[in-house]
Amino acid sequence: MDVSQYLDIFIDEAQEHIQDLNESILVLENEPDNKDTVNEIFRAAHSLKGMAGTMGFKNMQKLTHDMENVFQEVRSDNMNVSSDLIDVVFQCLDALESYIETIKATSDEGSEDNAAIIQRLAEVLAAGLGQEAPAPEGGEASPSAEGEAAPAEDAGDSSDGSSDKKKYLTYEFSDKEKEDFENALTDSKPVFGVTVFIDEGCLLKAARAFLVFKAIEDYGTIIKYNPSSQDIEDENFENDFSFYFVVDSGDGEAAIADAREVSEIVDIVYEQLDKVPETGAASSAAQAAPVSPAESAPVAENAPAAPAAPAAPAAPAAKTEKKQAPAKKANKPVTSRTVRVDIEKLDALMNQVSELIIAKNSLVSITSQATGEGGTNQYAEQIEYLERITTNLHESVMKVRMVPIENSINKFPRMIRDLSKSLNKKMELIITGEDTELDRTVVDEIGDPLQHLLRNSADHGLEDTATRIERGKPETGTIYLNAFQEGNNVIIEVGDDGNGIDTEAVKNKAIERGVISPERAENMSQKEIIDLLFMPSFSMAKQITDISGRGVGLDVVKSNVESLGGDVEVKTVLGQGTKFIVSLPLTLAIIQALMVEVRDEKYAISLGSIQTIEDIPLDEIKYVQSKEVINIRGTVIPIVRLDRILDLPPKEEEEESLVVVIVKKGDQLAGLVVDNLIGQQEIVIKSLGKYITNIKVISGATILGDGEVALILDANALI
Amino acid sequence: MDNTSTEVKVVDALGITEDSGERIQYIVVKVGSENYGINIAYVDNIVRMQKITRVPRAQEYFRGIINLRGEVVPVMSLRRRMGLDDDEFTKDSRIIILKFEDNALLGVVVDSVREVVTLSENEIDEMGSEARSDSATFINGVGKNGEELISLLDFQKVIGEKEAV
Repeated sequence: MDVSQYLDIFIDEAQEHIQDLNESILVLENEPDNKDTVNEIFRAAHSLKGMAGTMGFKNMQKLTHDMENVFQEVRSDNMNVSSDLIDVVFQCLDALESYIETIKATSDEGSEDNAAIIQRLAEVLAAGLGQEAPAPEGGEASPSAEGEAAPAEDAGDSSDGSSDKKKYLTYEFSDKEKEDFENALTDSKPVFGVTVFIDEGCLLKAARAFLVFKAIEDYGTIIKYNPSSQDIEDENFENDFSFYFVVDSGDGEAAIADAREVSEIVDIVYEQLDKVPETGAASSAAQAAPVSPAESAPVAENAPAAPAAPAAPAAPAAKTEKKQAPAKKANKPVTSRTVRVDIEKLDALMNQVSELIIAKNSLVSITSQATGEGGTNQYAEQIEYLERITTNLHESVMKVRMVPIENSINKFPRMIRDLSKSLNKKMELIITGEDTELDRTVVDEIGDPLQHLLRNSADHGLEDTATRIERGKPETGTIYLNAFQEGNNVIIEVGDDGNGIDTEAVKNKAIERGVISPERAENMSQKEIIDLLFMPSFSMAKQITDISGRGVGLDVVKSNVESLGGDVEVKTVLGQGTKFIVSLPLTLAIIQALMVEVRDEKYAISLGSIQTIEDIPLDEIKYVQSKEVINIRGTVIPIVRLDRILDLPPKEEEEESLVVVIVKKGDQLAGLVVDNLIGQQEIVIKSLGKYITNIKVISGATILGDGEVALILDANALI
Repeated sequence: MDNTSTEVKVVDALGITEDSGERIQYIVVKVGSENYGINIAYVDNIVRMQKITRVPRAQEYFRGIINLRGEVVPVMSLRRRMGLDDDEFTKDSRIIILKFEDNALLGVVVDSVREVVTLSENEIDEMGSEARSDSATFINGVGKNGEELISLLDFQKVIGEKEAV
């Protein structure tokens, strides 16, 4: 079968399963007795195995299969969750992830068979079972014990369901069929009774049945159908059908496993039988709990012939499928309401909306020129209407692009767990606001910087356990990641309750390295010193990490965040901890901006960063350290002459008052001096391309209604 | 300004004739007193001079950015890049829009566009690495079209970070 077309789906789903496994196993590590989690893990491993098998990725299938085996023993209480087990399972997940990476790159899983991990899995399995099965008959007893455990666990629904589901027990045999059955038994060929359940919404049920029969017939002969094969072909059955088959060659379990691969199959219930079932027995079995010993007895008896191991997967596997069935149904409405959309298609849609907005803007500019003529009012009304539509359309498209930040942070708990082990520090990660939504592009890009900050906190921020105890702090260090929306920005705080940044040490290091002069250092504020850590040259120095524990690659974090239009701030209290505050714009492509004029050039300033606009008489400008400042309602604000920043010639004579746009960055303010205000406008942000570089003050360009290009000022860079 | 009317489709304006694959077509442009050849494979189209928005603090050889059918395209001055006198825009001045492998667009200002020539390999002298003056840095060969010499521009070097002076 050509499965290449399913490759994308496979990769997506496999990644989801691996992520789920990561999360579940983290839970399991803390709560080794959590049965629900064990079941979830088992289910995810099982699905992964099936998917990998369908796609023909044998190595991956083998690894997941062995992993599944381990959890099957765990869930049937034959072994305990040990930290060894957790470790090796994490190794499995990493190996699976690298399979996926290879598949992504080459469409093939590669030749790595991870024999070492499989070996370790086997050891863990053996060790776990060894402890749990001290009794001599352990080997044989365990499969039957599972048989009992299965119904017992799910006392309410499943125990009844599992016997009810064995519909093959309820059918009468004709003489011919009985004869076939007995012949097979005398030839000591295994005979299986099987009931297959098909998804209720499935179309072409007969086709599924046909595929199941085809899979089975590779291994053996079907001796009885119910309903009759004719009825099955004509689709004269509800959602299930039953049959008996004789295994001629190979393994009956394998036949069932193959049949399970057929899509839309919800469940397959089966068992190996050593005698022709009496139809009466089924009904009594369905009512009585002791059904299990009766049923599993034959399995146990058969154990010497067919080793216990292959029989073992049978019972739990069947049960998992059962559990999955309701879950699938519950998911149905969700899946039908969402559609995976190629991001490129969304980009195209976004571009079209952008163009619509540009077109609208040019209509607006024509209207404003054509005032005074008849009918203008009506014209303006229509323009307003159009404006409303484009704004709404823009919002809708933006919303489609929004995804929860969860996607890029859900790998962090696992990372912190690993760091905790490798650094030998106790720490926990507390995440809040993982459902905060951001533009898809931002979410994709923000993972690395956040990872860096978290590593920083874990590695350098938190003290080692001994120091923490000495300082009277809780032994386990806390690292937190809080995400929330604030106005047009999303704020992500990454922090720890560790040592904090020793600004004195940073300052001394900076002087030593010649980054700043001692005189300059005297006058530096706390904040200015911390900003030194973001300097590229500074972070290159390994020494600084020995002292303050900060600085490696922080410049990279900063530049990554800034390339997304965001900003990083640091708050730290020595001895109490450090907090990095990353703020990111909610949207990237279209913003509300104030258009201003400097000489004859037009510039846009993002409305989000503007605090107020002030008219300042020239004589109110004061000087502090020979820098121009203004005092607005008690706040001293430095002013920035835009014409100088933008390399424009100075005005021949200064006006009597200045138009000052007050912008803010975090809690800092600055006043930008402009010549004229044009007005507020929705602008589409375009990149300047990769050739024009090194301009800090310009964050992009936009096309105005008249086709002219205006530059967007980056207020953050001006402060 | 209406952009569409200012675009001159290369094919129409210059009457290119189809040619066999071995030979490479060059658009011959004039910058200063010299003729330069631009490999036609890189040329997206040629537009008339239009308002260029200055980008403060950009590299000195960038004149600024223009609006090309709703896209923002940076425009470079070949004269400034080569250390010649600054451009003087005339009715013959054109912006050649180049498109590179990664779909990035770049405009270059030239004094005028003259013709399209087809050069075969034996008509091109590769530049030896020893022959370098300031402007030669951007050239990877010289083509001979009859009596005329055409310096063939190497855009890897033109857009490279290395400064001419």
